[in-house]
Amino acid sequence: MVSKEIKVINAEGLHMRPASALAAAMGKYGCNVSIEHNQTSVNAKSVMHLMAACIKCGAEIRIVCDGPDEEEALKAAVSMFEAGFGEK
Amino acid sequence: MKITDLLKKESIITRTQVASREEAIDLLISLHEKAGNLNDREAYKESILAREASGTTAIGDGIAIPHAKSDAVRQAGLAAISLPEGVDYQAPDGKPSNLVFMIAAPKDGDLHLEVLSRLMILLMDMDLRQKLMDADTPEEFLEAIDEKEKERYMKEAEPAAAVKQQDQNPTGQEKKTVRILAVTACPTGIAHTFMAAEALEKKAKEMGVFLKAETNGSGGAKNVLTPEEIEEADGIIIAADKNVEMVRFDGKPVYKTNVSAGINKPEELINMILEGKAPIYHYEGEKTTDATSIGKESVGHQIYKHLMNGVSYMLPFVIGGGIMIALAFLIDTIADAPRDGNFGTYTAAAAFFKTIGGVAFGFMMPVLAGYIARSIADRPGLAVGFVGGSIATMGCTFANVGGDPAAVSGFIGALIAGFAGGFIVLGLKRLFRFLPSSLESMMPVLILPLLGTILIGAFMCLINPFVGVLNQAISNGLNSMGSTSQILLGCILAGMMAIDMGGPFNKAAYVFGTAAIASGGFNVMAAVMIGGMVPPIAIALATTFFKSKFTVEERKAGMVNYIMGLCFITEGAIPFAASDPFRVIPACVAGSAVAGGISMAMNCTLRAPHGGIFVFPVVGNVGGYLLALAVGSLVGMILLGILKKSHAGKAQ
Repeated sequence: MVSKEIKVINAEGLHMRPASALAAAMGKYGCNVSIEHNQTSVNAKSVMHLMAACIKCGAEIRIVCDGPDEEEALKAAVSMFEAGFGEK
Repeated sequence: MKITDLLKKESIITRTQVASREEAIDLLISLHEKAGNLNDREAYKESILAREASGTTAIGDGIAIPHAKSDAVRQAGLAAISLPEGVDYQAPDGKPSNLVFMIAAPKDGDLHLEVLSRLMILLMDMDLRQKLMDADTPEEFLEAIDEKEKERYMKEAEPAAAVKQQDQNPTGQEKKTVRILAVTACPTGIAHTFMAAEALEKKAKEMGVFLKAETNGSGGAKNVLTPEEIEEADGIIIAADKNVEMVRFDGKPVYKTNVSAGINKPEELINMILEGKAPIYHYEGEKTTDATSIGKESVGHQIYKHLMNGVSYMLPFVIGGGIMIALAFLIDTIADAPRDGNFGTYTAAAAFFKTIGGVAFGFMMPVLAGYIARSIADRPGLAVGFVGGSIATMGCTFANVGGDPAAVSGFIGALIAGFAGGFIVLGLKRLFRFLPSSLESMMPVLILPLLGTILIGAFMCLINPFVGVLNQAISNGLNSMGSTSQILLGCILAGMMAIDMGGPFNKAAYVFGTAAIASGGFNVMAAVMIGGMVPPIAIALATTFFKSKFTVEERKAGMVNYIMGLCFITEGAIPFAASDPFRVIPACVAGSAVAGGISMAMNCTLRAPHGGIFVFPVVGNVGGYLLALAVGSLVGMILLGILKKSHAGKAQ
């Protein structure tokens, strides 16, 4: 299992568009991907779960990947967050 | 925020049919329009379509949530339709969508994120989705959501608190959540009161503690604590700069402090209660303030608190009266009345305003003195202070009980009357301690009012000749001051308004301004008010023109500061000053001082002690006043731009 803490930087937080993008990207990996935020953990492959977590700009989250291709999945997720999902 | 607060049954259509995504969107938009959520239907539709163009808002599982944040939204709202046959919404899973919710959110804030989150949490439940699909009427639809939301909300609140508790409780035994109550109050009751309440509630939430804060603001007490809540509470925090009703907290642990501690040190205060450091409070008859003065409050803070209590009750009279009198002069100016002794009562309308305004204005001194005395000695002090304040305005002396114009002691006299009245009553209470309890009921109904009034009367007659001379000297001084010293006075007072934005310096300048109204120094009040209006406006301008120097949140808050400034709510600048005091405060002080100086130089006058832009119509030389405001705000803005460090690096 690998994980990394990261801060959400896109101004609108994890709204529908980034959530969909993240869920779609994570869906390609075989490992489990979850996001820990505000003492709960949600499945990062589900748009519903991601939006239900209500992750706002500035939130400190932890991405946790567990499974065969965990390294690649974590790398992909981190780079999406770091790029602010292409938003400012 | 609850879904059922946003979704009204008028904006739901169940079991309908649409041919295309566009038709579904049109239908939902008209539902929003019907519910009165939109300002501009076309603009909102454009935002919705723009959002759809960047990717479908269908999320699969038969659900689609089109949404837009837009200025075209008048109030946040939800609309919903259920489609048994579904519509092709280009969902990622390729299935048709059967439940479509449309969110209308105002441009600012994270509201749409929170609504999305709530909706998702609810819709994750298969049961609810089925119920919504089966609902035949909007009522049934709404009821299903309401039921689920209630059930879900209850469940959520409880385990969260329980988890927190277990951390501190290794035995795993279930422990009651700590319940803390708080009362916040500040003299003006516009900003600090609410900031302290918010800071405390926010911190308590982080700490997993239940906290309810009652705000004693200018609009009266809000979120009032009930006797049951007080009974169940583990402790009470009083963060106030004026007196609050204390009798209800008898026998509970109570920690008293000032309102700024509530804003700045909420964690410390909550810990005082958690660690049981707050002393048990005993209400001692009517001697509350007497008891606390022996405690840890400094004498200076005591005097400030009593004075501000009086001022906060006095202001409404001055505002109402002052504006009416100013209107009277305005009406006569328009009517082109001759500027003689009757100016202001020349036309019937002006006479009405001036007379009624004069009546309100006449209460200024008695109310000030009365409520200072009440703050010191509780209810029995009120009458004694009132009488003292009236005597100060009449100028009674032993030589001339009917009133001597030279002995009118005015604002200073009323201040003295308030404190003297309060301490006379306290003294009388001490003096008559020997009375048997059977006669004690005679105290408030006979002894205190009678002896108190006699004593305050004698005292005021004694001091009036001396204080009257002093009062006269000050008002002559103000009126005969050379223009250079007037400008200097304007600079100093306006600058003081910006030093602590609602703290003691600000209040000292403000009280001086209101006192000047009482003795005819209307130009002083004008300088004081403009000094309080400049800081928020300067900051708002800076957030608009020097975007790189501020964070995103600060830029959003900056917009609100335009309004705060124009309304003369200096407190709007506090968050900015607090985060970067050594750069923001000097810039604001300089801007305010410039504005105050210009206002004085232009001889602008103001008869109302509050109101911001809304009292500009009654300002004397309003053109000069606007110029002063503009120049002062620009100076403040430019200094902010120079002094503040660029924030761009951090924001990325």
